[in-house]
Amino acid sequence: MDSRQAFASAVSDSPSLTSPALEDLPRRRKWTTVRRFAENRLAVAGLVVVILLYLSAIAAPWISRYPYDEIYAGMRSKPPSAEHWLGTDRNGRDLYARLIKGGQVSLAAGFASVAIIMTIGVALGALSGFFGGIVDGIIMRATDVLLSVPQILLLITAASLFQPGLKTTVIVIGLTSWPGAARLVRGQFLALKGQEFVTAARAIGAGPLRIMLRHLFPNALAVIIVEATLWLSYAIILEASLSYLGLGVTIPTPSWGNMLQDGQRELIRGAWWQTFFPGMAIFLTVLSFNLMGDGLRDALDPRHRRR
Amino acid sequence: MQSGTWAYLTRRAIFLVPLLIGLSILMFALIHAAPGDPALAMMGERAAANPQYVEQVRKNLGLDKPLPVQYFIWMRNLLQGDFGTAYTFGNKPVLDLIGERFWSTIQLQAISLFLGIAIAVPVGIISATRQYSLLDNTVTVGSFLGLALPNFWLALLLQIWIGVKLGWLPVISTGQANAEFPERIKYFIMPVLVLTLPNIAYFARFMRSSMLEVVNQDYVTVARAKGLDHRAVIYSHALRNALIPMVTVIGLQLPRILGGAVIIEQIFAWPGLGDLAYKAIGQRDYPVILAVTMLSGVAVMVVNLLTDLVYCLVDPRVSLTS
Repeated sequence: MDSRQAFASAVSDSPSLTSPALEDLPRRRKWTTVRRFAENRLAVAGLVVVILLYLSAIAAPWISRYPYDEIYAGMRSKPPSAEHWLGTDRNGRDLYARLIKGGQVSLAAGFASVAIIMTIGVALGALSGFFGGIVDGIIMRATDVLLSVPQILLLITAASLFQPGLKTTVIVIGLTSWPGAARLVRGQFLALKGQEFVTAARAIGAGPLRIMLRHLFPNALAVIIVEATLWLSYAIILEASLSYLGLGVTIPTPSWGNMLQDGQRELIRGAWWQTFFPGMAIFLTVLSFNLMGDGLRDALDPRHRRR
Repeated sequence: MQSGTWAYLTRRAIFLVPLLIGLSILMFALIHAAPGDPALAMMGERAAANPQYVEQVRKNLGLDKPLPVQYFIWMRNLLQGDFGTAYTFGNKPVLDLIGERFWSTIQLQAISLFLGIAIAVPVGIISATRQYSLLDNTVTVGSFLGLALPNFWLALLLQIWIGVKLGWLPVISTGQANAEFPERIKYFIMPVLVLTLPNIAYFARFMRSSMLEVVNQDYVTVARAKGLDHRAVIYSHALRNALIPMVTVIGLQLPRILGGAVIIEQIFAWPGLGDLAYKAIGQRDYPVILAVTMLSGVAVMVVNLLTDLVYCLVDPRVSLTS
């Protein structure tokens, strides 16, 4: 039997998990997770919206109706209408097309940043938790240092190192956000490495790399996935904040963050749609990722049940 | 509190020194690696066209020396309590600049933090004691909404709606410092509202789960079984223990709170530390950037330490000796 299941059923307060015979657990458990997630209506709603968002990003060329960078003469800052569903921006570009394109950029930026965050976080957290001692000391002190400064200050400082743009935004978010993930994975590895199946693996001669990759990592995966989901939403907020400050994704490439900044200038003249829609898009996306991530956590780890 | 606690805390406090040195090296390396010359940033276009003059300014600022030397000079001055003089911001001493802006950030953030806790704690308690009720579900959904809301977006919308359209409140904070007391409140309402909402959402959610955990414990059942009424059980038995984890959560929010000031202060033109840091980074004002980051680093580390101490004072089961 898989140790995570043993661990989960040992500490679980949920009767549905402890009632079936222990031998049946692996298969049943998988379906229990899916079922528990499916029963959580908010989480499913989050998942559906997230899927729709990614679909709209993929289908951007076909659904955006207008090119996102085409300037229409005499169409500066026009309110929503039948031709331009969400109105036009201050340069006379179609806002709906830009919102879709901006979604593509923001979602991609979020995804790429999370890839970096989780790669560094998992690798360093794993080393830290598994080896302990001086390795652990150095890595954890590095997280202490990074976590002691407000992240937005680190982001702004680091962003000024490079040319502003999508690539810089992703790299900078990735390089400043890993400490949380590293600590989480470290905790998981610490808890797991003392268990019997690890001792057994050691006894049959498995090396450290094999133990980490084949035995510890799969058991920590559930926690890692939940963390990654929640970071997806946070990375999008960070991208928006940086781009809003003019240090992230730069125009003419639209992102939800720089659309906010761009639209803000017209706000005083009553052109609310240029600020309202990009912000709404960020809000909905972050909300959906959070609902999904939270539902995933509840489904995967009954100890964390909050609802 | 156990006797080993003080030894532990002393050790932790001593450990802050290498952490702060690490932080200062990181920030020093980051700002110096960035392209852009503070000498050029602080002078006009015509002066910048004269290479001799630029060289002279760099020399005056000590920027011509090798980096490690610059670092040690900065560190030596710092140890003597000298944070240096700002390159920009009218060449004021850095400490004066920070002093001017410190209170305006603290006022804003302290009010938002206090309001956040004052609203979230009762909401969390009621929500937990009536789990799955309409009220509880509303709180759960509401806190999800509050956490996902980009508060700088909300700030922009409020500015335009309440500030410009309705004209009820001043749009930005210029003139805030000179305003008299009752009039001055007006400047605070929008920024405080925007900063308080995520605090409420975050703390209420945490308070609810903390309370739920406690309510299901044996000693609470015992209290009920011996016939105590509901209020007594909740408020004098359960609440005390449910509040303990809140201490940590509030402490952990400090970096977020300090960081949250950056954008919101930009939007409302609030003359605070976040605004100072943002402008200093843009103008390559090295002494100001270093001072603000070092001070926030010290604040965060000290608060973490205090959090642990408070934790161990309020909960005798917690031991810090290991």
